[in-house]
Amino acid sequence: MSLRNGDLLMTGAELTIDLLAKHGVKDVFGYPGGAIMPIYDALYGAPVKHYLTRHEQGAGFAAVGFARSTGKLGVCFATSGPGATNLITALADAMMDSVPLLAITGQVPTAAIGSDAFQEIDVLGMSLSCTKHSYMVERAEDLAEILQEAIHLAQSGRPGPVLVDIPKDIQMAQVPFQPWLAADDYLPQLDLNQVAIANELLSEAQRPVAYVGGGVQAAGAQNELMQFLEKTQMPAVSTLKALGSVLPDYEYDLGMLGMHGGQAANLAVQECDVLVCIGARFDDRVTGNLGKFAAKAKVIHLDIDAAEVGKRKPAKASLIADLKTSLPQLECFVTPDAWREHSKEMMVKHAWRYDYPGEKVFAPYLLNQLSQRMPSTGVVCCDVGQHQMWVAQHMKFSHPSNHLSSGGAGTMGFGLPAAIGAQVARPDDFVMTVSGDGSIMMNIQELATIRRNNLPVKILILDNQRLGMVRQWQELFFEGRYSETNLSDNPDFVQLAAVFGIPGQTITHANQVDDAITALVNSEGPYIVHACIDDKENVWPLVPPGAANDQMMTESAK
Amino acid sequence: MKHSLNIAIKNQSVAVERFLRVVRHRGFDLTHFQLNVDDGQYNVAMTVDSDKPIYLLTTQLTKLVDVKQVTLQSVHQQQAV
Repeated sequence: MSLRNGDLLMTGAELTIDLLAKHGVKDVFGYPGGAIMPIYDALYGAPVKHYLTRHEQGAGFAAVGFARSTGKLGVCFATSGPGATNLITALADAMMDSVPLLAITGQVPTAAIGSDAFQEIDVLGMSLSCTKHSYMVERAEDLAEILQEAIHLAQSGRPGPVLVDIPKDIQMAQVPFQPWLAADDYLPQLDLNQVAIANELLSEAQRPVAYVGGGVQAAGAQNELMQFLEKTQMPAVSTLKALGSVLPDYEYDLGMLGMHGGQAANLAVQECDVLVCIGARFDDRVTGNLGKFAAKAKVIHLDIDAAEVGKRKPAKASLIADLKTSLPQLECFVTPDAWREHSKEMMVKHAWRYDYPGEKVFAPYLLNQLSQRMPSTGVVCCDVGQHQMWVAQHMKFSHPSNHLSSGGAGTMGFGLPAAIGAQVARPDDFVMTVSGDGSIMMNIQELATIRRNNLPVKILILDNQRLGMVRQWQELFFEGRYSETNLSDNPDFVQLAAVFGIPGQTITHANQVDDAITALVNSEGPYIVHACIDDKENVWPLVPPGAANDQMMTESAK
Repeated sequence: MKHSLNIAIKNQSVAVERFLRVVRHRGFDLTHFQLNVDDGQYNVAMTVDSDKPIYLLTTQLTKLVDVKQVTLQSVHQQQAV
């Protein structure tokens, strides 16, 4: 290694922490082990605060929660071998949902690589399918540039997870720090011909619909979106990840579309003649039968990633650019009165109903009440399953960073650690997780992280003693053969939380809901509400597999 | 349908793995592959076969960080058997 005057020598581990601090990273999540000990040694007394989770997957999801609740880079650490493999699910989740994440893993020393050393796994090879980019540092003098490039890549263009695998000897070696300047990013330039085609389509549209995706949050383009909607008064539908992008008081907000979307949203898309896709990707859970999805519509597709245009559905016009650039290029023709009125009529006709006749806790009512009574700046982190869809249907959000739900990957176990990350990132905001009795057990060990750091995370468990969504499909599509979905031997969740020093209560009847919400919202520290619900309750409506989105099953028609 | 592509990538062995993984995962069969090192980069000439339109692959390859350039050379219509 050749050193120049002015190079500042430090160890690779010290440089790693120093670079993170220089890039504004104040909080990281992780779990130490042999091959990453030099980095943990450099953390000791450093200005970067480390949150010890109780499993590397918890660290990965906490970093995802940190990133998604702020738009900033999330950072997680793990050691080699099993430490790194435990991060993989979080990396995959961040890849599917375009989350800016930096994972730093320790690796066995360079000389031992390829020898099947203790806790040696080919992490670089393993990372290829679940990262935007990944590195294994082979020379100490490359470390500074790689780390700086990784931090840049995770946050640029379409964000995503980047992994840097650092052998232990490189963490311990003396390395030079040289500032690295990112080359000018290739920013796609808007094709003005495509803009003209898009505006011509908009000028002729009689029944336009805006189909809003997670790209709006990634681009920080909520203002541009709302300006477009307010001027055009175009009915808008949202993906799971986009919820909160369209402000809740927008007159023509039809809510979520797709498999468990609202009927007004799905029917509007099926009837529309122009579909303006804004940072979304025609996911199969959105489209149902793709050939029948928005079959009458001409598509205008806005995305920063050219690979998304035409991937699932052809576009008549494609605007490949940052949404903050492309959205203002759309001319704002006011949506025809008849279509706006029709949309509003559909919203009224298919409005959610909360007049549940039974005495048991009705999850949609509970969540709707919670949504009205919790602070509007609060963050809700979901797990995956029926409760996740009920949250999407019955809670309102004013920003997508307030609704963290594992969208593309659909990862059970996401909610609790994501809430930890969100609470660390936004210590003054109300943060909670809504989970199911199946999902909560996937990362239940993170209750210890909540207690260790005195984080005031609230927890709501909707407990039907079942893997509810799978049970629902078994009922509807597998002839009631309930294979491995009965969880009636669950632990007592309130007692379990109490072991970790977290108070709470169990509710079983509808008349307990209001008091439980009061206790949850007003508690100063962490608190758990364990809500027992009917095990036969299903999520409605439902677009059955293979069906078009206007073929929704409803409770009365099942 | 077969397509021939030339791809310039960074001179790193992991870069080859990375783009070949994308070729397979996106549903394209590799029928020819040649790798040369030139001017500090790898130049790959390859032919892939798939029922899918080739832009579904080229757009995915283009956004890989290691990939410098993707050039579609030719399209071969498979002869009816």
